[in-house]
This record gives sequence, C-alpha cells and structure tokens, in this order.
Amino acid sequence: MTPILQSVLSPHGVQAAQIATLAWVLFTAAAVLLLLVVVVAALAMRGAPAVRRVLAGERMVVALGLVMPVAVLTVLLGYGVFLMRAQLPAAQAADAVQVEVTGLQWWWRVGYPAPDAGAPIASANEVRIPVGRPVLLTLAAADVIHSFWVPSLGGKVDMIPGRVTQLRLTAERPGIYRGQCAEYCGGPHALMALDVIALAPGEFDAWLAREAEPARAPVAEQEREGQRLFLAAGCGTCHAIRGTAAGGTIGPDLTHLASRRSVGVDTLPLNAANVTRFIQDGQHVKPGNRMPEFRIFSAEEHAALAAYLLSLR
Amino acid sequence: MLIRLSRPRIVKLVLALAATAAVLGFLFLWSGLYSVAASRGHWAVMEWLLTFAMRNSVKTHAIAIEVPPLDDADLIALGAGHFHGGCAYCHGAPGVPISPVALAMLPPPPDLATQMRPWRDRELFWIVKNGIKYTGMPAWAAQQRDDEVWALVAFLRQLPALDARRYRALSLGSVQVEAQSGREVATRETASEAVGACARCHGAGRDAPPSALVPALHGQPAEFLTAALEAYARGHRASGIMQPVASDLAAAELERVARYYAGLPPIAPRPAAPAAADSIARGRAIAEAGDAGVPACAPCHGANALKLYPRLAGQSRRYMVNRLSLWKGGLPATTATGRIMAPVARMLNARQIEDVAAYYASVAVAP
Repeated sequence: MTPILQSVLSPHGVQAAQIATLAWVLFTAAAVLLLLVVVVAALAMRGAPAVRRVLAGERMVVALGLVMPVAVLTVLLGYGVFLMRAQLPAAQAADAVQVEVTGLQWWWRVGYPAPDAGAPIASANEVRIPVGRPVLLTLAAADVIHSFWVPSLGGKVDMIPGRVTQLRLTAERPGIYRGQCAEYCGGPHALMALDVIALAPGEFDAWLAREAEPARAPVAEQEREGQRLFLAAGCGTCHAIRGTAAGGTIGPDLTHLASRRSVGVDTLPLNAANVTRFIQDGQHVKPGNRMPEFRIFSAEEHAALAAYLLSLR
Repeated sequence: MLIRLSRPRIVKLVLALAATAAVLGFLFLWSGLYSVAASRGHWAVMEWLLTFAMRNSVKTHAIAIEVPPLDDADLIALGAGHFHGGCAYCHGAPGVPISPVALAMLPPPPDLATQMRPWRDRELFWIVKNGIKYTGMPAWAAQQRDDEVWALVAFLRQLPALDARRYRALSLGSVQVEAQSGREVATRETASEAVGACARCHGAGRDAPPSALVPALHGQPAEFLTAALEAYARGHRASGIMQPVASDLAAAELERVARYYAGLPPIAPRPAAPAAADSIARGRAIAEAGDAGVPACAPCHGANALKLYPRLAGQSRRYMVNRLSLWKGGLPATTATGRIMAPVARMLNARQIEDVAAYYASVAVAP
C-alpha cells in the first residue's frame, strides 16, 4: 500500500481535486492582480504626465478600487459556494459509507455502522474507506476542539464539543493518506495524526467484516500469558478488546490492534519493540499523553504482552 | 599631645581595626585553640544568644503556617507510633528515660513530656518538619509529607498529660511485650521497647491498625508489600515514618514480614463514622464502571489483579482518602506503580475520592 504525499496540491479525491483547482484559480488571479498593481504603481511614479494624470483621476479610482474588487470577489465567492456544495452532506449519495470519528486528547475514536444496525464497530486512529465510493464522516469532539484534515482527500472540518459536523470524501485511488489534527488541542497535539486507508471495495468489505468480529483468542502459550497480564494489570479499565473482560472506553479499542499500522496514535510503526516502548516509556514517546507508563513488567512479561497484542489481527 | 582626628583618619582607623580583628579571629580559629567539645558547654552569653536566635527564628518562620484540627484520635495514635520509634530515644517519654548518650549532646535534648516550651502548634510543626541547625534535631525525612508531621504535632499536644501506662497503650498499640528471661536479655536484642515492631502501627493477627490513617496490611499480596517496603527503604516512596523503619530491615527480613502479613486473614477496618449509603453507592459505581474519563478501580484493585497492586476491599477509608489526596495535592509519583496510580488520583475530585474510599471501606471481607 503506497503512502501518498500529504499535500493540498497533491489531490487524490473528488473534493480535494476541487479544492486544489480553487487554490490554483486563486493563486493565478492573485498573481495577475499583483502584476497589475506593480505595473500601475510603476506608471504612477515613472510614466508620462498624460498617463499619470489618467491614473490620478477619480474614474480610475472608482474603476480599480471599487468596481474591479467587487467583480473579482463576487466571481470567486460564487465559484467557492458552487464548489462547497460538493463538500456538504446535503448532496450525499444514497450509498455513502458512513464513518463516525471523534477527536479526544490525543487520539481518534472511529466507529463504523454495524451490519445489523447494532452498536457501531469500534476502532481507533485509522479510518478505512473504499475507493470510489462517497464517504460521509460524522465528526465530533469529546473534550476540546480538534480538527479533522486529510489534505490529499478533502477539506478541513473542526470537531467541536457538543456539536456534530460532517465531511464528505471520495478517494480516487488506493493508498494511505495521512491526516493530522489541525486545531491545537493541548500537549501532544503535534503527535495526533491519523491514516485514512483507501482500499479496493471488495477488500474494504472483507476488512469491515473482520473488524466487526470479536478479538482472536490467544493460541500460543506466550499469547495466553500476555492476555492474562493485560487483564490483571488493569489495561482493560481503559482499553476494550471485544470478546474479553476488557471493556474500557477511555483509550483506543484494541480488538484488532494488529491490523493497524501504528502504535501511539500514528507515532511509531506497529511492531513488538514499539509496543513495549509505548507501554513502559510512553511519556517519552508521546509526552503528555493520557496513558500512564507501566514500568512494572519484566522483559518476558513485555514480550508476552506484545505477542498477545500483535496477535489481535 | 593632642591627636587631631579628621573624618578620613577616623575611617582609616576603623578599617584598620576591623582588618586586625578579622585576622586575629582567623588566626584563633586556625590555631585550633577554640574547643568544639560538646562536653564543655557554651559560655553563658553564647548560650543566651543561640537560644534567643533559635526561638525568634522558629516564631518568625512559622507565622504563615495554617493549623489543621489536631484533636483527632487517628492523628494522635499515628504520631504516638512514630514518636516511640523516632523521638523517644532523645526526648524521652512517660516511662521511657532519655538515653544518657542523647543527654550528652550539646544542647541536651529537652524531655518533651515535662520541659516542652510553650510553642504554638504551628511552631512545633515547623521544628518537626525543618529540624534545628547546630542542635541534634533532624529535619523530617520526607519533606513532602506535611500530613505525617501534623500527626506528630497532634501527639506532642497530648504528651504532657500522659502517664506511663497510657503512653504505652498509645505507642505500642496491640503489641504485648513479654518479659524476657535473663538468658534472653543476655543473648538477644532487648525487646522491651518493641521499637521496630510493625504491629504497633499496622496491627497484626486479628488486630486492626490503631489509627485509621494507617493501612491494614492483612492479606495484601506479598509482592505488593515487598515492593512498598523496598520503595520506602530506597527512598523512592516518601514517608518520614516508613522510610526509617523500612531502611532498618534487611532484604530478607523485608520479604519475610511481607509474607507474614500476606498470610494473615483480611480484617474489617476499625469502625469509623459510617459513610452515607448514597456515597457508598456512588463509590461503587466508580469502582466498577468508572466515571466520565475516570477508569474503573476494580480491574486493578480486585481479587484477580496483579499481585503488585494492593487490594482495597475493607481498607481504611481515612487512609485511602489521605493517600489519594496526597497524589491529588501534587505528591510526585516516584515508584513504578505510583506512576500508574497518581494520574488516576489526580483525575478524581474530592467527592469522588470520598466516595470510592467509602465504598471500598464498606466492602465486607471474608474473615
């Protein structure tokens, strides 16, 4: 899966492409206007007396200072409003994939509608969407204002406590699109990133079906020991692993942690060493994050915990 | 002949005299003729000056200290327990003479039962917390633990009114010191003061701790108790009361005493004023399910949790409130388990702390 450049100028979605076009129109218009201003200023200082007299006349002030800005801004506003309709949920297609994303200090709670209309399928810190199908994101915030922004896919929308906002995206090609919380939300805000992973529609459906299932039961002895430690150390008071006694909702759901790409909310790549590092040294990896450091485990215990967590595919 | 002293001459003369005095003073100290012997005492004028400075220093520095209610049986009992082990050697107690070794210090420590100056509560607090320079009085070993210092002050307020029997009852708790035979006295450490006995403060067997500010250790996991004692012994966990006691124990003793308490059947806490039923119900909800961002207590403090974590069922309410409030008040988390719990304690508000403590104290423990 290819990571895709995180840039407004590298659009890979319907909405992002429109925003990029708007940006280029703005840049071009601004450049033309700047050129006009420079030329007029030069003429006003160095031009022939006749030209300078025309420039100083009242007609020119009305034309360039009043009529032209009103005309240019009206056209641009009309164009912007026209484009915004595509960003708004009003134009939502009937087959839109719905995803709920809630911003919390400092991670993303992600929920997909369950096939049987039951409780949403809980996930975290990674949004998976099918390529080519419109996606409707329902955005909320649990504590302070966050902002959801995946520049290569679409616009930036604030997540505001007590309100629900929406955003439409359509990814044009498979890939990993990086996004970032775009509203300062305290402490490790800079490390509150996420990946939007666009999958071929068939792959997406298969993935969602797996995501809806409870966690894989530990098989190997080391994994079983890891699960025992996970539960006995109280990890389940904040983290949920569906199918076990761990049902906490304070931190990210870990039911299918091993299917994700990162640990510590897009801070470190997911592997055993980094799982261990985040558990015992999380305040260095991501200073200020809400998870206390667990420096109580031996090397074998850490290995067992990591083996269990990485078995949760 | 009359010497005329102009102003510049006076200045020069004074400077020269001061320089001479400084040089002579330095030469005197350098010669070693000044005696630092504690056996010789101070000159009367020196004695007066030092005492004058000390009294005023204590009074001035203690001005801004706010005094909590001290007429409190739990504070007094905890203070008595520490006084017996930490203070009586130098300051004596009813029925406990000051050690002749301590009496040979300069200044000799006062017998607090009979000769305590009429200090104010806040002044006593300042002295116990900070100690006094140039005397043998040490500062409190854990400067973060004002709560412990107040326990001692509360006890000191009771001390002058105690007789030997009541002092022993307070400071020894449930510990019965059996008379030793001549051979035992001759061949073992003398046990008459039971200074190092954990049970004086923590109870043992079927006896609960005499102070509700002291945790019951009965039936706690040995791993948890060992880790706590090691943390005290190494100074990782702050307590002016526990650090000296724990650092006196060898590693093997520390583990043995942890196993002893772990093997005791749990006991119900000493009955205190019963908590309101709705407080207990709120506490139970937090313990079992958490509350708006506060994680539930039970996964870490229930029967199936790691043995490195304490069990809370039946623990003293006041102890839990004090422990959680200390973290909430900013006591730094310095142990591995403290780093896990302190952020949680800081999430709780004062009412939630009262509620969870009330709930866990109300949980019946199987005898």
